[in-house]
Amino acid sequence: MLSFVLRRLGQSSVLVLIMSVLVFFGMYVVSDPVAVLASDDFTEEDRIALAQELGVDRPLLVQYFSFLSNVARGDFGTSFVYNRPVMDLIIERLPATLEVAFLAIGLGLIIGVPMGIYSGLNRKKRSTKSISFMTTVGYSIPNFWQALLLILVFAVWFRWLPASGRGDTTMLFGIPVSFLNLDGLSHMILPAVNLAIYKICMQTRLARSGTQEVMFQDYMTFARAKGISRARLVRRHLARNILIPIVTITGLELGGLIAFSTVTETVFSWPGIGKLLLDSIHNADRPVVVAYLILIVLMFVVINFVVDVLYALLDPRIRYT
Amino acid sequence: MKRTLTTLAAVATVALSGAAQADVLRMAYSSAPRSVDPYPFGGATTAGYKEHIYEALVAHDDSPLLATGWTWNSPTSLTVHLREGVKFHNGDALTARDVVYSACRMMFKIDGKRNLLTSSMGPLTDVVAVDDYNVRFDMANPYPLWIQKMKFLSVLPASGADVPDGPIQYDAEGDCGITAYPTRDDFENGDAAIGTGPYKHVVYEKEFAKMTRNDDYWGAPAKWDGVEISSVSNSGARFAGLLAGDYDLIENPTAEDISALDRNDDYTFTGKPAWRTMFVVLDVNPEGANGVSAPDGSAPLADVRVRQAMSLAINREAITSRLFGGNATVANQFAPAYRAGAPEMPALEYNPEKAKELLADAGYGDGFTLTFNAPSDRYPGGTRVAQALAQYWARIGINVELNTQPWSVFAKARRAGDMGAFFYGWGHPQGAAQMISFAFASRNKDLGLGSSNYSNYSSAAFDAAMEAWAVETDEAKANEFVADAMVAAMADLPGIPVYYTHSLWAHKADLTVDGRQDERTSAFMVSKK
Repeated sequence: MLSFVLRRLGQSSVLVLIMSVLVFFGMYVVSDPVAVLASDDFTEEDRIALAQELGVDRPLLVQYFSFLSNVARGDFGTSFVYNRPVMDLIIERLPATLEVAFLAIGLGLIIGVPMGIYSGLNRKKRSTKSISFMTTVGYSIPNFWQALLLILVFAVWFRWLPASGRGDTTMLFGIPVSFLNLDGLSHMILPAVNLAIYKICMQTRLARSGTQEVMFQDYMTFARAKGISRARLVRRHLARNILIPIVTITGLELGGLIAFSTVTETVFSWPGIGKLLLDSIHNADRPVVVAYLILIVLMFVVINFVVDVLYALLDPRIRYT
Repeated sequence: MKRTLTTLAAVATVALSGAAQADVLRMAYSSAPRSVDPYPFGGATTAGYKEHIYEALVAHDDSPLLATGWTWNSPTSLTVHLREGVKFHNGDALTARDVVYSACRMMFKIDGKRNLLTSSMGPLTDVVAVDDYNVRFDMANPYPLWIQKMKFLSVLPASGADVPDGPIQYDAEGDCGITAYPTRDDFENGDAAIGTGPYKHVVYEKEFAKMTRNDDYWGAPAKWDGVEISSVSNSGARFAGLLAGDYDLIENPTAEDISALDRNDDYTFTGKPAWRTMFVVLDVNPEGANGVSAPDGSAPLADVRVRQAMSLAINREAITSRLFGGNATVANQFAPAYRAGAPEMPALEYNPEKAKELLADAGYGDGFTLTFNAPSDRYPGGTRVAQALAQYWARIGINVELNTQPWSVFAKARRAGDMGAFFYGWGHPQGAAQMISFAFASRNKDLGLGSSNYSNYSSAAFDAAMEAWAVETDEAKANEFVADAMVAAMADLPGIPVYYTHSLWAHKADLTVDGRQDERTSAFMVSKK
């Protein structure tokens, strides 16, 4: 197990390094923070002074190595645009993203998995066909368009839910969260549902195909022959065996939601990190973009690791040596 | 028990009706104000937000605000007379000392980085409190523009920092013997967010800000009990928020949004001609321009006839009426003709036949190749206008390739001088001269001219007029110099003016919006019918 962990760590640090080079040099090639930050009444002298203060007047390699040595000391740099430590900006916005991401993933699991098992078990029923139709639709609607539809129906026509923003927050262990008060919760619903629809469809399909496969395995036939009740059959023998792909995908999807809910966050003006990433790319705020993507790589590494550990728990045949 | 319940119900009713009576204006901006601290950042939404709380010596329309007037002691020294009886939100009275402190704070480098508004301070060398209500600004070079630039200097109370007793000695590093300035956190939690404005800071969370009326305001009291500013960058979501009742007013609705309002009695929109001139910059360098090539290897854009032909090819009327539905104004010079100080200029002709003749005279009867660059995400409707311009030029035989790119990429290429022809918009608090002094004058470090001369334009007549304007403290004379420069630039066309933008607001039908030219959205311009 230890050597497995160490190997993973080694691989991920190489990954982080490659990522930092790509983003750092990529941002340098396409955009110039001085040109974006300087207003039209900056004189050339003002622009040169600004470049010096941002440290972007130095040769690119010098900039990159000073960045690396700072990261090694735990300093991810200072945002060009906000003149604040990058980590502060990201941490400040992380709770908003996390709560919506977890709500969406939770909805996906709670609704999608039972629906998938149901349609896997009752393949010929009419309700199964309509579930299958709905998942196809839910899969194929573009995310931003679906978001605008949700706003149109629930905010503009029915006026049940607010169209955008985060609403009131409640402090939980010093972290502002929305889900503990009514106003905040009502702001959370639309973005979370927008993210969840796709997840529900996916979990339904995963659970259904898993169910169809597992139900015809010899051990299931045997269990049925033994006279085990249907409820116990589904809970003990079926559910456990279809979980492995679901856990894998859920892990990756959680990572994807946290890292790249940019479209949903932008449309709903949800002040999360996805919106920060998009704004920073627009503003040529290289330190934020680089640090953000490095953190995302690290997060995926951790999530994959947790998924691997879960495998071993779910399937006794899997061992890491 | 029953009695308690009744009392509770009564209290609740009173509380609820109280809440309903409070007139709170809820506005949605198109991007989040970057800071409560008035100095580090520019930008329309940051500026629009902060002017609710802070005021400067000069108002947005160059009229005195916290000042009552000013006197030029010499071309390099200005004394500004302060308004008496003005109080900060913390109860302190405004004096000249606060102005000196604010100038120090403007120049102070936070974590070694200058505030982005610092450039407005130009060649200022000293700021002196002559007495409580007179403050003197000394300059290294004549800097008449300071009258207009003073609006960047939001005035903060000196009591907000650890200022030693006695007069504050200004220095350009912003150190001024002051040991500790308020930090960003002090501003964001409201401790240092103290100005003299009609509204007081309540909450600032970037995408959401809240303010309440300043009951001790020195001028006419604010119209709203409170103001809430949300920031929704996606225009579709912003408009949906308006229709959903989340906001009373939104800025920058799209052309599609406006046409959707035609069918809706509850909402309407207000437009106001704004200060931004949209124009094409042409690199007139005789050695050639990037992305521009002719079969014979010459530099087409260096020939004034070619530039005139490109201007004649454009049907400006069609652009403003078709692409903007009338919510844009045809341009005839490099500053909105309706802006104070703008000279009288003739309308620009649309005549493709004449354009073709001019091209033939110049030796480009068979056309030439031109790459036309435009930012894709910067100006409302900008991409469509760029396409239209490319088509107009194609009609007179120019082989145009349109290249649109995101602003951050475009801005880099512009600064690097990589674009021979590009589309740009310029709007700024300064009057008619500001843009041409940067974009078309020859570089002059001392007078701050020509820093954005990507046209590589150099004209003796134009430069002489601009250099005279830069040091002229008499407004009428300065305007004459601007007119001379504008005439020279419009004859030589180092760029081609196309149209002036309009600012738009969509809002509830029971509100009246008295918009401003400066693209800002504020509660001051909104009132109930």
